[in-house]
Amino acid sequence: MNGAELSLADVSKSFGGLMVIDHLGFTVKRGSRTALIGPNGAGKTTVFNLVSGVYPIDDGKISLDGEDISMVPPAGRIGHGISRSFQNIRLMPHLSTVENVMLGEHWRRPAFSLARGRRAVEAAKSALADAGLQTYPGQVVSNLPYGIQKRIEVVRALLAEPRILMLDEPAAGLNSAESDDLRALLERVSARGVTLLLVEHDMQFVRQLCDHVVVLNFGQLIFEGTPEEVHCDPAVLEAYLGTDAQPKAVQSDNTAQAR
Amino acid sequence: MQSAQQLINGLMLGGILAFVAVAFTLTIGMLNFLNFTIPALFMLAAMVTWALSTTGAHVFALGLPWYAAAAIGIAVAVVASLIIERFTYRYLKARYGDATEHALPLVSSLGFLIIFEHAVITLWGTDPQRLVLPFRDMDLRFAGLIVGIPHLFSLGLAIALVWVLSRMLKRSRIGRALRAIAENPDAATLMGIDVSRIVPVVFLITGVLAALAGILYGFSYSTVTPYIGDAVATDAITGMVLGGLGNVWGAIVGGMLVGLIKVFAISQFGAEIEKIPVWGLLLVILIIRPTGIFGKSRLGKGKF
Amino acid sequence: MSGYMSGVLAVLLINTVIAYSVFLPAAAGLLNLGAAGFVLIGGYTAGGLTSQAGWPLAPAILVAGLFAGAVAFVLAFPILRTRGVYMVLATFAFAEVVGGIYLNIPSLGGATGLSVSTYAGLPVVIPTTVCVVIFVAWLLSTRLGLAMRAAHDDENVSLLFGVNLRMVQVAAFTAGGALGGIGGALLVHQFNFIDVQTTGVLFSIYVLLYVLIGGTQTAWGPFAGALFFTVVPEILRTISKLDPSMQFLETGRFIVFGIAVVLIMMVRPEGMITRTLIEKVQGSFRRLATRQKAV
Repeated sequence: MNGAELSLADVSKSFGGLMVIDHLGFTVKRGSRTALIGPNGAGKTTVFNLVSGVYPIDDGKISLDGEDISMVPPAGRIGHGISRSFQNIRLMPHLSTVENVMLGEHWRRPAFSLARGRRAVEAAKSALADAGLQTYPGQVVSNLPYGIQKRIEVVRALLAEPRILMLDEPAAGLNSAESDDLRALLERVSARGVTLLLVEHDMQFVRQLCDHVVVLNFGQLIFEGTPEEVHCDPAVLEAYLGTDAQPKAVQSDNTAQAR
Repeated sequence: MQSAQQLINGLMLGGILAFVAVAFTLTIGMLNFLNFTIPALFMLAAMVTWALSTTGAHVFALGLPWYAAAAIGIAVAVVASLIIERFTYRYLKARYGDATEHALPLVSSLGFLIIFEHAVITLWGTDPQRLVLPFRDMDLRFAGLIVGIPHLFSLGLAIALVWVLSRMLKRSRIGRALRAIAENPDAATLMGIDVSRIVPVVFLITGVLAALAGILYGFSYSTVTPYIGDAVATDAITGMVLGGLGNVWGAIVGGMLVGLIKVFAISQFGAEIEKIPVWGLLLVILIIRPTGIFGKSRLGKGKF
Repeated sequence: MSGYMSGVLAVLLINTVIAYSVFLPAAAGLLNLGAAGFVLIGGYTAGGLTSQAGWPLAPAILVAGLFAGAVAFVLAFPILRTRGVYMVLATFAFAEVVGGIYLNIPSLGGATGLSVSTYAGLPVVIPTTVCVVIFVAWLLSTRLGLAMRAAHDDENVSLLFGVNLRMVQVAAFTAGGALGGIGGALLVHQFNFIDVQTTGVLFSIYVLLYVLIGGTQTAWGPFAGALFFTVVPEILRTISKLDPSMQFLETGRFIVFGIAVVLIMMVRPEGMITRTLIEKVQGSFRRLATRQKAV
């Protein structure tokens, strides 16, 4: 799989009178592992919604590998290699784990092929095993714990064989063992060349996985850089902590990194 | 002259349909569900009024004066409506909040429709019954046209009631609370509106409207059966859709229009054609312009 | 099997077929209150073919199903522009318009209904029903079936994963219509009669209720719903005949039905048969099998 490069150029989006994304532009390089962070309400999930086509943009351009996809309808975006997970779990509650995951590769089958053959089921099961979820194939997902459901969503998105994988808070609600498993999985995915774009609040997870961070606040880009650089930037501190940014916070982060 | 009489008849029927259309539109506008028990309440009030006001071999044949029978008929319908609220809307809201299973109140209301219809059949059988009003035979006659007094009364009452209703919705605290609930029940709760106290008000108003319509129907056409609710429901729903879901004045106009269309179609083509004009109209509107003549249905999400 | 029992069984199976006709769109997220419409189309078509054109039974049933399916296909596109309560009303309206049309075709009996002499007993009803059930189970196991069920649970996410929502829903609606036609064809030849009066508003409502109460998550649901609501009234009626003091059960059985609907919607709105239940049953069978093996 070749990873794709995602570019936002001067993108704006309003809901009602409220401008939620404000002339936003940034690039996610091919094959990179980028985190999209920012305080609550910064517009991170909205960016995901705009890129995956849930909402149309008001202004600007979204490009994938140089091709303008701003006008592509939502059902078409997956064909361009964009696959995602959701902040609040959006699995199909009445379907089993395997069935949910198989929805991911729905688009890759020829238009009128009806059969859901053994091969597809095996592929789904092995993808689940790859993510450490092999004990759950037949169960109806609404009965499963939150952390498991979150990871099932990641597997579903993966089965679409995307060129850019967008995950919205994939580590939320996971304990440290699950979190490590997830990170290992994502590292394997990234090693295959797929571009990763994550929204995450867990900064340790970000620091261990990502090589690039984009920071938003009020729908605007306030900083781009490496995870290390992010912590020292005054604009970022102000966004998260308020104008009286305490040097203490920076200090303790530095000591943590020094270890 | 023939057409003018048909016009009058159409308007008279329309007046009654308007009532029921308003009841439907109020529930859908305020509570986002299509309340299939409204025709049952319509029929219940009419049948109870008949049973109480006449003497004979049937159950509850008390021979009360018409106004007492009517009052009790309305009361019975209102009580029934509140019971329905308790077991459909309120119960389901409490368990599932605003979640996916939106069609449940609709399905439950179908269950209640079946219960009430067959309870009435069990009590009083399926034969048509005569409901007689003392001044029933007093018609206004002018220029060769006949205008039934009960019909006129019902039209006037419909307009008056809806006027009162609209003012209440606009001006009063309860009205504002209802509109807030229609927009967003959760936000309304956060603003301090006690949803569980206010929602029964809608069911109460609905019950009164349906009951009044049923009783007026009975007095206007003199015949009541356990199936009059079904006949009227479909016409009233069409009127509601015509006027726009949730639009109370639209429902009146829609109900009147449907009454006119129905009467004219039957007079031109005979009774057998009955289903086609009204249902055909409904189908076409739903496909082409579901928001009705009067434009956008202002009210929120998941309409069931 | 006595005449009475075989009659009940035939009705049960026909109700099951008609329930499946509503189940397929429902499983794809489309609430359909228009069962009567397709049943009428199928019944009048098949009945007309056998009684007036001298066709044999099997081809008549087939053609009835195909014709009903074609009507459903054409209707699907405009109807799918509606959602929620609007769709319920539109399908309702459709069924009534169909009724109105057949009322005005004197050569098919008009208001008095159509009588046919060909009789379809269990030898016809059972194989037809079995075919229908196999078809539905197969459809649900395909990629199309998966897309349908995904569309039922979450239309927006299904779109994002490339599901062609429109075609999937059209397919579900069309297949449902065809099954309704087949059900109607069976109906008219089981009772040797069909008319608009008895196949109207209440009919559609009852069928939808069977389906919702049986459960829309699995292919077992509609059968369970039809079973419950065909068999229970018969049991009540039999009891009332045996014990005259329970006479009210005869007329009261509809009230019982209504109360059951309300209760189930309150307590178990997913319906009687759910995925989770099937999982549990399969799990117990599996455990039983392994224990047997171990012994």
